Amino acid sequence: MSIVSFLEWLSNTQFSTYMRESTWGEPIVESIHVLTLTLFLGFAVMLDMRLLGVVLKRRRMSEVLAQFNPWLFGGFAVMIVSGVLLFSADPVSFYNTHPPFFKIKMIMLVLAGLNVLIFNATIGRKVAEWDLNPTTPGAAKAAAVVSIVLWVLIIAAGRAIAYVLPPP
Amino acid sequence: MIRSLLLSFCQWCNSSWWGHGIRGSTWLFPFVEIFHLLGLGILGGAVLILNLRLMRLGFKTASTPELAAEVRPWMLGSLAVMLVSGFLLFSTEAVKMYGNWAFQFKMLFLLLAVIYTFTIHRKVTLGDDGLRFGPAVRILVAIVSLLLWSGVGLGGRALGYVTTSVGSVSELLR
Repeated sequence: MSIVSFLEWLSNTQFSTYMRESTWGEPIVESIHVLTLTLFLGFAVMLDMRLLGVVLKRRRMSEVLAQFNPWLFGGFAVMIVSGVLLFSADPVSFYNTHPPFFKIKMIMLVLAGLNVLIFNATIGRKVAEWDLNPTTPGAAKAAAVVSIVLWVLIIAAGRAIAYVLPPP
Repeated sequence: MIRSLLLSFCQWCNSSWWGHGIRGSTWLFPFVEIFHLLGLGILGGAVLILNLRLMRLGFKTASTPELAAEVRPWMLGSLAVMLVSGFLLFSTEAVKMYGNWAFQFKMLFLLLAVIYTFTIHRKVTLGDDGLRFGPAVRILVAIVSLLLWSGVGLGGRALGYVTTSVGSVSELLR
């Protein structure tokens, strides 16, 4: 089954039709998606700024990670769920946006996720070693820069989708 | 009198060179809007960090005044970005916004949120040494902050859906 035929099948489900046709469904889910962004982006930027040594400098890295991570993972989960719900309202249109902002956003989301995984699997695991260093290791800083750049682009792509999405 | 002053202000913004410029370009509006969205992300995060700390739901190892000092530049910076980008966006259809009740709601909540944040909220965050304010006060102060800022956010979301055929909240409620 090709991607497009799967997406067409998805758009014909009861749930997808409901999301598309309900007056309140999409506005409520989209509001959750956009407002959860405030939780996620602010915290992500703070964490990345700490990795770059710009903010919360007197706090140990392991402590900052421990404090921000639950909110980051929780916020990310809500973003994914609300995002999937929004997508399911009109899967084919999202997939086929032109220019392909949706596809670009998805690719960057995967990259952002990989960045987090790689960080946690490598330099992040040894955080106790560089916890109190005056400057964080280069690899950690690189991860922070990649993270910020990706999230900004993801948000821009997300906003752009709304401009190129055809009405349902 | 205030109404006609406000309307004149909206008309002036509408006919400004920046209002014209952004309105006339295909990409300028989305471009400015992205800054508005990014500012929102960071402002929201800063406000949340402080309020979670006040409610002792997070950041339990930091002291509130310390956290407030760290977060303050980000709060001020992102608020500035939001006010400037918001003003630019507003100018592209200022007269329509004048008649949009969701926009009126948003501006009212914005005014209240900003005043509140720089008075009561600031006093409590800077004075929270763990002993001065009991949990009830801290939680109330945090919740009011979250409600006011959420009102701004929701008003912002709603204004896209509200047409100017409904002139005011009172008209809506009639």
